[in-house]
Amino acid sequence: MAPGRPAQSPHDSGGGDNNSKKRKDAPTNPQHDGPNKRPRQHIDQRQKIRIARTLSTQTTSAAFQNGALDVSSFVKSRAYEIQALENGLQRSKKALNERAFQQVPKELRRRTASHNVKRVPKRLRARAGREMAVDNTPTVTARRRKPSGHMRLRLETVKKLRALGAKRKAEKDKPKDASVSELPAKDVQPGTITTAIKPRTPKVKKSLLATPPVPKAKFRKRQIHKSWLPTHLYHAKRARMTAPSAPLWRFAVPLTPTAKSYRPTHRASHDRGAVAWDMSYISTIQLEGRESSVLGMLKAMGAAEEDLSGRKASKWRAGLRVLEAFLYERESPHELIAPVTMVWCVYANGAESVEAEGRKRKVLLRVHPSAFFQLWEEVLRLAKVAKPAVSVEDLRFEIGSLEITGPGATEALLGALWPSETVSASNSASNAATTGMDVDTTLDTPRSESVGDIWQKLAGLTNPALLPQNALLGFNVQDPRLHHPPRTIALPKSDAEQHQLLELSASWPIDAAQKSCDIFDGKARHLASTTLPSQKAVNRRKALSPPGEYPQALPKDPRMPVLLYSASSATPTNSSKSRQQPKSHNGGSWTLLAPWKCLPPLWYSLMYYPLSTGQQPRFAGLDQKRQLAFEAGKPWFPGDFPGTKAGWEWECEDRRRREGEWRKRPRGKRVGYEKVEMGGGKKGEVGVGWACDWERLLDGPAVVEEAALGVVEDDMDVDGVAAEKAGDGAGSAEKAGEDTVKPAEQEKAKEDAVPFQAPPKPSQLTQLSTRQALALLASPEAKLPTHINLTSALVTVRLTLLTRGVPQPCARIYRLPTDNADLRRQWLALLPSNLPHKKQKGPKHALPRLPKDAPAHVVQQRLAQSLLEPPRAGEDKYPACPAEEDLVGFITTGNYDLGEGQGTGIGSLLLSRVRDGGEERNGCILRSAGTGLGRLARWEVV
Amino acid sequence: MVRLKHRYLLVNILYPGPVATPRGKDQQTLPDTIQFHKPTSDSLTPQMLMRLIRDGVAELFGDYGVGVVAGSLQVKYFSAATSTAIVRVSRAHYRLVWAALTFATRLPHPLDEACVMQVVRVSGTIRKSEEEAVRRARMGIRKAQSAGTWMWDESTIGQGHGNVGSEGGSVGGAEAGARPGIEDIEDDRSESGDSGD
Repeated sequence: MAPGRPAQSPHDSGGGDNNSKKRKDAPTNPQHDGPNKRPRQHIDQRQKIRIARTLSTQTTSAAFQNGALDVSSFVKSRAYEIQALENGLQRSKKALNERAFQQVPKELRRRTASHNVKRVPKRLRARAGREMAVDNTPTVTARRRKPSGHMRLRLETVKKLRALGAKRKAEKDKPKDASVSELPAKDVQPGTITTAIKPRTPKVKKSLLATPPVPKAKFRKRQIHKSWLPTHLYHAKRARMTAPSAPLWRFAVPLTPTAKSYRPTHRASHDRGAVAWDMSYISTIQLEGRESSVLGMLKAMGAAEEDLSGRKASKWRAGLRVLEAFLYERESPHELIAPVTMVWCVYANGAESVEAEGRKRKVLLRVHPSAFFQLWEEVLRLAKVAKPAVSVEDLRFEIGSLEITGPGATEALLGALWPSETVSASNSASNAATTGMDVDTTLDTPRSESVGDIWQKLAGLTNPALLPQNALLGFNVQDPRLHHPPRTIALPKSDAEQHQLLELSASWPIDAAQKSCDIFDGKARHLASTTLPSQKAVNRRKALSPPGEYPQALPKDPRMPVLLYSASSATPTNSSKSRQQPKSHNGGSWTLLAPWKCLPPLWYSLMYYPLSTGQQPRFAGLDQKRQLAFEAGKPWFPGDFPGTKAGWEWECEDRRRREGEWRKRPRGKRVGYEKVEMGGGKKGEVGVGWACDWERLLDGPAVVEEAALGVVEDDMDVDGVAAEKAGDGAGSAEKAGEDTVKPAEQEKAKEDAVPFQAPPKPSQLTQLSTRQALALLASPEAKLPTHINLTSALVTVRLTLLTRGVPQPCARIYRLPTDNADLRRQWLALLPSNLPHKKQKGPKHALPRLPKDAPAHVVQQRLAQSLLEPPRAGEDKYPACPAEEDLVGFITTGNYDLGEGQGTGIGSLLLSRVRDGGEERNGCILRSAGTGLGRLARWEVV
Repeated sequence: MVRLKHRYLLVNILYPGPVATPRGKDQQTLPDTIQFHKPTSDSLTPQMLMRLIRDGVAELFGDYGVGVVAGSLQVKYFSAATSTAIVRVSRAHYRLVWAALTFATRLPHPLDEACVMQVVRVSGTIRKSEEEAVRRARMGIRKAQSAGTWMWDESTIGQGHGNVGSEGGSVGGAEAGARPGIEDIEDDRSESGDSGD
């Protein structure tokens, strides 16, 4: 639409003269271009569009000289046409963009703020300024803007407070001046002496919970009940954070970027680019003590024997690999706490002799914050009884971390992490081509290379899974601000270089070169954070360096200790082969540990690194973390471990959220869970519709029992209602809440919910590790630690749908019917392996589409075939969902999987119910909560 | 607000008859595909094309047809050098225009040449028909090149349009050179069948 079209009436032209702020007249209206007006150079928008849409054509006489028809002119004329059409397509698209800021790409954060000319890209600035001048909406700078209502009040308060503060300060300063003025000369001497005395370094108090760093006064009020991640300011501008009143694990965590990111994240992590997270909320605990006693502690916490000792684990114990394992509570019932990542510090001086046995060593435990307190208590209790003593330290706000995945991850990290060890080498070499040069220089002296050198040789690595599993690098890096903005590194191009990389990953010289890493050293961490130069100082140094070059490294530059490890895509306990196949496409990811205060500069360098494949690494939030875990077929802690305490709390929180969403809709527009047709004439959802109702799964419909008896004997219609009523009256009041709960009660519930406290976990609910579950499934007589109650042990599984459909969270998982042989046969007939025709094109599990002009006999054949076809969902003959006694579990995460191209899910099953399933034990039936339609699926333990 | 809906017909003018041999050139040397898609004379203007359609509609459907079509009929693009046109009609009545084009056998009076008007694409937006025209032009180039390699000097065009012929439909190829036009028509049918409704 042309701007200002209706402004053609003479009445409006009169209005243009007075001092109204808004543009009234159309810029192109010829009526307004009177003698006293500036001549406008704008063309009518419509005309502009028409011009843009006209395609240029070539006449025959121009294309073919003398009308001679030959191949080259023929081709040329067509080439001209292609050019003309493509130009036309481009032009007509652009013509619709009326304003300058409409050309700013969507991804740019400040597109919405483009009414400020200074925020549009430079090349558009002049045009934008012109447009805004025409609109009479010139840019106002924040400094000169007249403060509006709220802001004015605030500013007044600030002014008053300042005046008060100044007054108080003046009073405070006065008496001091009077007393000191007598002896100025004396004071100088002691002053210099006191500065020479080294201040006492505070002794680290072990076994105490760490307190979050004291924020700047400006931000202090906002961090009373939570703390910010080191990169909070970056994320708060670009992401949806947790609500201020509802922090997650006492942190303000970015949930998802403001920009659309579901597909871009998938692409960046699988095909091209990189995705990074600030994972500083992950908690770190340091244990220090003799190796044997630390190992004893871990064993007491249920870490598997073969993970801790033995040949395979020797590299881990030497501090050259990372181990991720499940830890349990020591007391029975030995509850699963969480998967914990453990890293040893390398032996000092590489001495592994007997005398080193007695020496104290350090190990870092990294655990999800939702399970931190549970693990902390457990570790403290064990450390007290350990002999020789083990000291425990909480490093939560000392060590920050970030994670980065995707094919460009290694490249981006290489661009951001400049090792300090190679400072002398890179000094001599030119700044620009450091990485390329290093490959050559270090070739000559392979013996003396440090970890930093080897790290730089990893240029060109697109998948950290190529490296030894759980590999680890610890080194010191320079301040990345000196090399900001980062430049694309030189990547290997020749075959020889690629071969070198392969050789490097196979021989992995880090194992020999790795020295004890500074990140384990509290003093080094402290030093790195405190000696960070100010941004001003960095800028000064950058200004002094010659143009186009980075500033020279100085010997007294701070060295940031970092620890880098590649998390393999395999799940913590790896034994089954079947699990390896679905995520072969998924690359590993890097986790970087660095001192808390050093993280922001590293983060900024990473985020602005120009990848060789174009664009920059993306940042992501918690939702993307879950999404990628889901696409890799891995369970995400805590959400997919409902048998743990943290997982249970997560589930309760989710339940509350879903219930709120459900309740706020009007009755006509929400799922009526009490009316869902369950097949066999039964009505009403099993358990609470908005929850993965583990209580119901464990206890069964205990309260409905008398009604259930009635179901068998009585008439169907009557007990549908009877069962419903019984369910309502007894324990599951929530189930049909909308009927029984009165509005007043709802209000009250809402008020109560604000300081939400998760109800205690059902005590018998436990989670089995993969290893235990596989052992139990493999042989019925497998022995289980006696403390585990098998009837209530959950196992996490991954489900793939065999026919169609997409599983949703909270979907119910049934085993194939056990009692009803007829129903079981019907379900088995639907299995794709039992269908007569496989390997056919066309819609999934339906007959291929016929061409429109198919002959009659083919159509008849098709008709006959379709009669033999198994029933499709929604048809009358489609088998009903099994009864509640066949309920085995719930889906905790389910969605359409972009990697697989079909719906998959992650859920938990009650192991005892699927242990003896006979043939097709892994087959199951999924039913989304609130629907009556079951879908065939297959599960595998993850 | 209800939008006026249109259909855009991408039309190729084909010349099945023997080409009037231009002076100096031997007719045998020209591949069939080029003769088939030969350029139209400059004297055929968009207005004449429009009149041709209108007359055709009048002949087939009478005053009713003309009245119903006239409001929206427009020739959006006509390139004589490649004998390609894009014609716009209202969605309800594009079949009338299609029929008129199909029944046209000769160009209008001053030219009076035997021709076939082939509707190769019907689309709801001009953008799609433009894209299709680009695709067909690419295909045409490939066919002409493969058919006339012996007399074809690649260097003359290759420098001008690096992107030409590098992508587009995969059908082209050597076989297409052997049977010009036939395959062309086959895949037209399927496409117009899909988009016709």
